[in-house]
Amino acid sequence: MLGSERADGLEREISQKWFGDRSIVERAIVTLASDRGLLLIGDPGTGKSWLAELLAAAISRNSTLVVQGTAGTTEDHIKYSWNVSMVIAKGQSRESMIPSPIMTAMEGGVIGRFEELTRSTSDVQDALISILSEKYVSIPELDDDNIVFAKPGFSVIATANSRDRGVNDLSSALKRRFNFVRIPVVTNKKSETEIVRFRTEELLRRHAIDLEVPPTLFDVLLQSFADLRAAAEAAKSDDEKLESSLSTAEQIGVLEDAVLHSTFFGEKALTAQTLASSLVGSLARRSPEDLAILNTYLHGVVEPRSKAEGGPWEGFLEGGRQAISALS
Amino acid sequence: MSQTFAALRGQLLDAAEAFAEGPAVLPEILEGLVSDVDHALAEPLEIFPVCHHSPASALAMGRRLRQKQPKVIYLELCEDLEPILTELRNCRLPVAVQAFASQVQGFPAAWSPLNVIAPITEASAEYQAIAYALETPGVELVLVDRSADHVFQWQPQEEPEEKEAPEEDLHGAAVGVEIGDLRPRFAELEQYLIHHGKVRHWSEWWDQFVEQPLADADYDTYRQVMALIGSLFRRLTPEGSPNLVSDENRERYMWTRIRAHLAESGLDRSECLYVCGAFHAVSRVEEAGSAPDTPDLEITPRTGTQWLYGLIPSSHSAIEAQFGLAPGSVSIAAATWEKGLKRSKLTPFRLEGQKGGRRKAAKPLPLPTPDAPVTDKLTEYLATPGAAAGLDNDELRGWCVDIVRLARRNGYLSSTADAIAIYQTSVLLANLRGRQRPTPYDFQDAAITCIEKDVVPGRRDVQHLCEILLGGDKVGQVGYEALPPLAKDVHDRLEPLGIDLQKRTISRALIDLSAQPGLAPCSRLLWRLQYLLPGHAVRTVMGSRRLGEKSVQESWDLDLGRQQRTLIELGYEGVTVEQVLEQRLRRAVRDPKATAADALAAVEDSLRLLESPRLTDDLGLRAVELLAGERTVDDAPQVLHLIRRLIAYFESPAHPDDQLPAWCQQFVTAGYAHYCTLLPTTFADEETGVRQVAAMLGFLFSMESLALSLGCERTQLELAVQQSAPQTPAKSALFWAARHQLGGLPLAELRHKCDELLANPLVVPSFPQYVSGFVHAMEPVPRLAPFVVETLSKAFARLPDPVLLPWLPNLITTLKQDAAELVPVLTREAGRTFPGQLPALDAWTAPWNRPARKVAPRSAALDRNGDPRARMLLDAHPAAALGVAELLGVAGEWQAAPAEDLDLASAASGSGPAMALLATYPESAKAAAGLIGG
Repeated sequence: MLGSERADGLEREISQKWFGDRSIVERAIVTLASDRGLLLIGDPGTGKSWLAELLAAAISRNSTLVVQGTAGTTEDHIKYSWNVSMVIAKGQSRESMIPSPIMTAMEGGVIGRFEELTRSTSDVQDALISILSEKYVSIPELDDDNIVFAKPGFSVIATANSRDRGVNDLSSALKRRFNFVRIPVVTNKKSETEIVRFRTEELLRRHAIDLEVPPTLFDVLLQSFADLRAAAEAAKSDDEKLESSLSTAEQIGVLEDAVLHSTFFGEKALTAQTLASSLVGSLARRSPEDLAILNTYLHGVVEPRSKAEGGPWEGFLEGGRQAISALS
Repeated sequence: MSQTFAALRGQLLDAAEAFAEGPAVLPEILEGLVSDVDHALAEPLEIFPVCHHSPASALAMGRRLRQKQPKVIYLELCEDLEPILTELRNCRLPVAVQAFASQVQGFPAAWSPLNVIAPITEASAEYQAIAYALETPGVELVLVDRSADHVFQWQPQEEPEEKEAPEEDLHGAAVGVEIGDLRPRFAELEQYLIHHGKVRHWSEWWDQFVEQPLADADYDTYRQVMALIGSLFRRLTPEGSPNLVSDENRERYMWTRIRAHLAESGLDRSECLYVCGAFHAVSRVEEAGSAPDTPDLEITPRTGTQWLYGLIPSSHSAIEAQFGLAPGSVSIAAATWEKGLKRSKLTPFRLEGQKGGRRKAAKPLPLPTPDAPVTDKLTEYLATPGAAAGLDNDELRGWCVDIVRLARRNGYLSSTADAIAIYQTSVLLANLRGRQRPTPYDFQDAAITCIEKDVVPGRRDVQHLCEILLGGDKVGQVGYEALPPLAKDVHDRLEPLGIDLQKRTISRALIDLSAQPGLAPCSRLLWRLQYLLPGHAVRTVMGSRRLGEKSVQESWDLDLGRQQRTLIELGYEGVTVEQVLEQRLRRAVRDPKATAADALAAVEDSLRLLESPRLTDDLGLRAVELLAGERTVDDAPQVLHLIRRLIAYFESPAHPDDQLPAWCQQFVTAGYAHYCTLLPTTFADEETGVRQVAAMLGFLFSMESLALSLGCERTQLELAVQQSAPQTPAKSALFWAARHQLGGLPLAELRHKCDELLANPLVVPSFPQYVSGFVHAMEPVPRLAPFVVETLSKAFARLPDPVLLPWLPNLITTLKQDAAELVPVLTREAGRTFPGQLPALDAWTAPWNRPARKVAPRSAALDRNGDPRARMLLDAHPAAALGVAELLGVAGEWQAAPAEDLDLASAASGSGPAMALLATYPESAKAAAGLIGG
């Protein structure tokens, strides 16, 4: 996950997949080795799910045992449910039972994941308590073979959004069974560049797109996000800041959008104009508040900069203007 | 080259060959490392390499001193700090030795004050060396590093960057010097070591890979390893780095000093010990070495800057912040030191009477043991993995329990299960990071992982709690004996308050001056301290000491214990608070940028805080000089304000002498002449504000009678006003007001002018500026207030809405900006003019709109209320009145009053209830007359 080094003496080099404080990963791994669950908490877009997925894949070669926490998640989703037609035909048995991803993980002794834990209701959360502490699920409907024990190696990685605090607060009993690891927002420019480059390259490879992202445009993207973040920090009310959390994931989204747009509708080369219109398109969610903020940003920050520095900023300004006028 | 390390050298060269594709300099570096160590060990003067805040260094030092018992210790510390070191025994460590210079010579003035500090903790090799040298008879301690003066001499002569010093910073804005600064000199190397050591910061790396393995190592191993590390960092320093140049200069300096001392004292080199940073221990500069024929560094003389020395309190966190160490690392080092002492059963050297820490009777030193020949310990050290350092099981278990208890007390819902989880996590983390036992840092990470949830319930988070558990921040204190005279004097004089000033909490002092008049000197001292130490050291809660005021009861918050540094630094300026205050006031008025207003403010401060008429007179005379030399009137409002207050004070009963001091008289006459001279220019000058001109006029008019009585001429003022030609509306208004005051412009004419302005639509937009001018004119011509109210009311009444409404905000801002202090006068006057009740408004007509009442021509008819007897006297002897009239240029004849008028008047004055009362009871009147002597 953090990449291999020559000193590790591995057969082949393993590239770095997660960029950030090393100790976060170490603490996460150690938690999974203990008998507590791991709860990754942080702002949206900080890479919690990405880290969870990587951890699960690296430890148990399987990152697909996922329960998505929503308001509609029920206890069945984390325990088991029944295949009704089979029950009618053959009665209740292990064959007619549909185990949940968590139960599958228990049976296999691997890592199960629970996304957005705080979005699910408290009864679902309570069901998780017994799984985490007893490490077995009993199936009272069956007469024999009615307990599924977790094999060693089973653990749960949950993610929670710190912006959602208060929606369905975790009970202290559940909190006690999780170790919390907070994922901070990346503010270090260097590692943010790394993350954006790594993720977009991967996405481009997936779409089989051969398009070079010029380094100057990387800088423009990072700089504009840094500016907008600073503006959001300085804002006094919610109306004065963008609805978007301006996370690294958001940046990746903007870049991906720009790349796809220029591949399929443009000149097969990424320009500052396309980047600007993607930025406006992805960040302007509320009209007129977000548009007003972006407009202020373009004219207050980008315009002087394009005059002073020129280069890609001029195109960026022009593209941004066009996108705003098209939207408003 | 000795053969001690031949085997290791060969091994390293083989390794270099194996990495043949590496950089070409690799063999040179590897070979150089060994020869550096060899060279350092071969030096006849024993070099003891240390690292700052390293318990391993301190332990090795303690052991070595016991074993060798040198006669002289050369220490890498600013040589001029030596005399102050004996005072360390009166302090509770950590404290910092400080060199301070407030008046600089030979340095850029912007650098002032110059401030160098060297913090000293108990767990350091330098403290061991100092304590040994000062406590053992016949041992000399020689500091050999460059003096504080040279620290700044060697600094690049460019403006240092302005750095915001954090408020609670114990060290202030001092330059820190440290013994044994040992850190990679370029960021990549440090990053590399940290990354591969699987640690987070440098302090942790050091602790893990050097500190722990060396804690129990024998002296030879310690010395060789430290020299090796010093050599490694030295050889990997980029060429031409400014730090390296400065370090090499320091090495030349130190060796030059050492050789000079050796030659002077004639001591054998083997009886001495040279304590320096490991980086310097392997110095290969030409001037290094104790051999007598080594070339010397030509040491530049110190500048004329006068340095003062003292001790200031320091703390672990301040040291960490100053030298860029990880938070908590110095505390961890202190804990490691204690642990090391316990384990090795070593009695550390301590200064007699040192406060805090453990107290143990010092045993006499055993006889020194001869040294065994040096053998190669490096190979073994480099080849064997580090011993299982870190926390042992009992210790870790104890910490796990303690942190859970501490967390519970701070609002966390932690339980025994957490203690178990922390234990397990610490061990797992240590394994993951390739350590046999968890370090305090692993423990900290584990505790955060297991206890910290989404919110911090109390004031402290788990990280902070861990720091507390590991010893917490330790704050030093400078004892009474080690304080400078001024601080001692303050402590002595505040003793009657009965408050422990060394306490590190805020104490409240209540002073009731009527019940305990003996506390008056304390109160005076506190006021002076508050003036000199703005901030938190001394803060008044109740009571004030404005000019001429004395409070009966005062209440103070004293925080001198925590703000010791500010008081100590004040001590560098003088011997008593009064002396410092006097110096500061004198310096303030002698400053090249000082203005008359500054000087007057200094006069006021001297009157408030010091009973020194001589000083006040000096400051006052300086104010006169400054005023006469001023070419602008920017400060006129402040000058007017201050001189008015001062004159009011001098004329009040609070002032013991009821005469105006000579300087004050001079100031008034000089000011009158000065402002008269400048008046025409300032009226015309665009850059001078209306406020300034108004203040000048205020000075001229309100001081007029005083100035005239002191010999000034009114014609000067009249001429000055005549010469003035204002250009802007506001100044025009002021000008008219001045003319009105001088009698050249009657009110009716002024009113007419304003009416004309209001009627002219071209002028209306600038009318607020006229109003602003008139409002300012209330300062010099207070009787104009009704007229200003009238002008404003007329403007509101007559201007059409499209003009009035946009103008109102303009008016308000003009008033608020330029005449804030005069607005209350205006509203008071308005309150007098307008009716107070709403119903009364219907029937109300403005005074200026009322039809002029026909004033009956005052005939010769006598005022009924006048005393007829006076009139009768005048009628009888008209010559005197006619003489006065003639002098005034009115010729006329005397007309006697008709007799019936006189009768009527006398009847009026002779009747009424008062007369009746007197007639009925004449005794009291007679008795009063008798008393008067009538």
